[in-house]
Parts: sequence; C-alpha cells; structure tokens
Amino acid sequence: MHPILTITGVSKNYGKLTALDAVSFEVPAGAVFGILGPNGSGKTTLLSILLDVLHADTGKFSWFGNTPQTNNRKQIGSLLETPNFYHYLSAVDNLKITQAISGRGDSADIDKVLEIVKLAERKKSKFSSYSLGMKQRLAIGAALLGNPDVLVFDEPTNGLDPVGIAEIRDLIKSLAASGKTIIMASHLLDEVEKVCTHVAILKKGTLLTAGPVDEVLAQEDIVEIAASNNDALLNTIELMGGFSKVKKHDNCLQLFYPIGTAQLESINKYCFEKGITLQQLQLKKKSLETKFFELTND
Amino acid sequence: MFSLLQIEWLKIKKYPAFWAMLIIVLLTYPAANLMFYNVYLNITTQKGTDMLAKMLLGNPFAFPETWHTVAYISSFFVILPSILVIMLVTNEYQYKTQRQNIIDGWTRRQFMTSKLMDVLIVSGITTILYTLVAIGFSIYASTFDTTKIWDQSYYIGLFFLQTFAQLTIAFLLGYLIKKAFIALGIFLFYYLIVENIATGYIKMKAEKIGGDIGRYLPFEISDRMIVAPAFIGRFGKDIKTAYEKSLSEVPSQIALSLLLTTAIWAFCFFMHRKKDL
Repeated sequence: MHPILTITGVSKNYGKLTALDAVSFEVPAGAVFGILGPNGSGKTTLLSILLDVLHADTGKFSWFGNTPQTNNRKQIGSLLETPNFYHYLSAVDNLKITQAISGRGDSADIDKVLEIVKLAERKKSKFSSYSLGMKQRLAIGAALLGNPDVLVFDEPTNGLDPVGIAEIRDLIKSLAASGKTIIMASHLLDEVEKVCTHVAILKKGTLLTAGPVDEVLAQEDIVEIAASNNDALLNTIELMGGFSKVKKHDNCLQLFYPIGTAQLESINKYCFEKGITLQQLQLKKKSLETKFFELTND
Repeated sequence: MFSLLQIEWLKIKKYPAFWAMLIIVLLTYPAANLMFYNVYLNITTQKGTDMLAKMLLGNPFAFPETWHTVAYISSFFVILPSILVIMLVTNEYQYKTQRQNIIDGWTRRQFMTSKLMDVLIVSGITTILYTLVAIGFSIYASTFDTTKIWDQSYYIGLFFLQTFAQLTIAFLLGYLIKKAFIALGIFLFYYLIVENIATGYIKMKAEKIGGDIGRYLPFEISDRMIVAPAFIGRFGKDIKTAYEKSLSEVPSQIALSLLLTTAIWAFCFFMHRKKDL
C-alpha cells in the first residue's frame, strides 16, 4: 500500500534562517502522525508547504502517491495555524464556501459537522461574534466536512478549555479508529502520546527522529526501583552493573538498559541477597516528554 | 469558471459594504447628473441667452448624447466602487482567507481569477447603474426619441472599460499593500491629488518636455477614453482644436488602457503563483 504522504528532502530558508533542512519521512495510511517540536522548529512551515501555502526551496512531496495536485488538497480536511473565515459571515455561510471550494460534503453535512463540534446552536451567528474556542471548533468542523480520509491538524486544541481539549482528543481518537489518516502538529506532548501511532520530532528545521511511537520511544528499557533507603540501594546496585546508567528520579532510582536486556527477576534477587527489600520494581516505557526533551535539549 | 463566480457571490452577497456601495452609487450617479442638468437648465432658460445657449449646448442629456454626458459625469465617482474593490481584496489578507481558499483546494490561479471576477462584477454592476441612469435621465430630460437611442451606446463599453481599468489599479494597490486603510489612503491621495497635479503640471510644461505625456499616467490613460461632452467642443477655435485632438486620441487611449490593465493582471497572476502566502 502506498504511503498517504511522502516527503523527500524538503528545505525552506528565510534569508539566512533555515526553517526546514532536508526533511524526509513517510506517513502510512491509517496512521495518527504527530509532528512535534518546540516553537520555531518548522512544524507549521512544513504543513504550509504540504498544503501549498508556502513553496519549498528544494525537495518534493507527494500525497496519495501522486505529485502535488489541486485535487489532492480537496481530499484533505485541514486546519492550519489559525481558523481563517470571513468575519461577516455565519458559520453556515463560511462552511458553504469551504464546501464549494473543496467539493467535500453537502448541506446536510454542514449541519452534521456543526453538531459534532457543538456549534449547532450558534450556526447562524457571525464568525466575528465567536470566542477563540468556538472559532477553533468551526475550523475543525470545516476540516471534517465531507468526511475526508485524511486530516491535517495544526495545534487543534489551541484556545480550547480543558473540556474542549478532552472532546477534541476523543474526536481524534474516534476518527483514527474509523481508519482516517491524521497528521497533527502539537506542543502538547501528552496529547500526542495519547492519540498518535507515529511521531516525527523537529528541532530548528531538522528532523531528529520519525517513526512509530513505540520505536521512537523504546530505544532503552527503564527499570524503576525503590527501597526504604535509596542511598544504600544506589551503592548496592552500582556494584551489580549490566545497565548503561543509573540516576535518581523522584523517590526511586532509574536503571537504563539496552532495549530488551532488563531482567526484573535478577535485579530483585540481587537486591534481596544483598539484604535490601525492594518496595518498587517496575519496567517503564520512556515517556514522549522525556524523549522529546532528551532530543531537543542542547 | 462559473463555480468561481458562484463562490465569489457567496462571499459578496452578505458583505454589508457591497450593499452600502451599491446604494451610494445608486444615489450618487443620478444626483451628480441632476446637478449638471440643473446647471444646464439655468443656462438655457435665462432670458436673452437662452437661444444661444441651446444652440451651443444642444441637449447633452437627450439621446444619443446622454450616453456620453452621463458616462463623463459618472466617471468622476469611480472612487466609490474602488473602495469596495480594495476592501474585497484586503479582507482576504485580514481574514487570512487567501491562504484558506488554497488550503481548501483552489489553485493560486483560481484564487486570482476569482479576484478578477470580483473586479469584473463590480465594474459590471457599476456599468448597469450608469446605463439605467443614462436612460432614465434621457427620458426625464428630453422628449423620448427612440430613433437615436443606440447611436452612441458604445459609451456603455467605454464606461465599463474605464471603470474596469481604474478598479484594476485599486485592486493592485490593495493586493500589494494588504492593509485596507493604508491602501485606501494611498489610492485616494494619488487619485485625487497627485495625478491631478501631475497632469496639470505636465500640461503646463508640455512644450518643454516634448508633449502632453500626462496622458500616460495610470488613471489618465483610461480617463481620456471618455472625453468631455461634445458641447465643450463648440466653444472657440482653440478649444475646438484641443477637443478634436482629444477625440482623435481616444483609440490610442483605449489601446493603452487595455495594455496597462492586462499588464497589471498578468503581474498579479505571476506574483500570486510565485509568492508565499
């Protein structure tokens, strides 16, 4: 099966500033693909190039296995950076324009998506009268018009309250469960970790890593152990060896092993033989946040 | 193409400034022409000079001369639709919908074609209003002579072209400057002040600078497609000569207007294809 999106060596410069430096990766069909990076890392620039708002200096990309074509964008529901609508028009009239340009959906669809994003009651109000959260919801609604198979969301939870964030997260999960391909740029690592199957991490325009979340995160086994006296435990465990490094973390110690080499039973046995009873012994996956900071910190 | 027109209509039909412009133009064109008509009435009804005035002026509001007179007077108010055109293009920047339209699936060429249609729509509506006023005035101001109705109706085409050419310049300013008030300010300052002073100055220094090159200024190019009404040419020999010269330049002014307007749109299409949005 063709990947939904293939990016090959895409670069973009603004004068001397490199916004994107030869970025390449693929987005498989059905993936929820998170694009992560600190502010200014090039996430929105990359999405803007993919949606033909910006021109790449070099490199190429293709949607659905084709070279860039207008009709490709019509098949993609997109929210890029900010909700962009005609301020003097209502939600319904704005969505009519989205519908007419993209050819996605019909008038029944407009009502349907407004129900989904909880704007049905205000559908005839002018866009200018909407709160930031409502504007964001309308932009998500516009992306959902016509039930497209591919969705691009740039910071989809911007401006939403905690309930709204949870609702959008659930919406993304349900869209992913129905087989949609979702490409999502976000600062909210927790959000991405909860919904994404794949991730790409950008820093200052350079792609640091990309791939399935499990592969990106699981490069090491982390074993967390704790005893009544963690200092004594540290002295003892350092003599045991076998791990690449050990460090104190909150009220426990973290032992880092090459992937697949940590053996909890032997750790427990060793400590017990040395007269230390473990209160905690747990194999942990590295959190996306940990991995993110590890990769993006200088 | 038709779908682009439909989409632009969706954007325009609920835009309050569009209807405001329409009402203002609807009021201004008849009012301005009525003002001139009253001046004409005053001159032609004064005892002693009335016969001479009637002989010299004819009735500029009767068919077929009404097409010319109303076009000339109405063309002074191109500022009104220009404001709308500037608003229509700068709105797309203010709301960032020029990006969204592309994201939703338009090509950059389709976006620019849609803006070209906006300018054509506004020019078309303005021309329809002019046509109605010209017909209405002739019915009001003279005996309705059906034999000569269409004799000078080519002024409908000239009025449309002049309006389209001048609105194109307004569009260019809005497109390049992006901010409504700055674009409007520059447009009004140039249209009302700079070019008028420049035209007058060039006319004064015409002999020194090798001819009246003022006719090549952006608005003058199309302004001179519709010369002053014919009765002007009936006063004095010098005026008659100058008037006939203006008339003889009309075909070249039409060609220049078409050239400039085409060049502006070609530039806008090229820019929009190349630039980041």
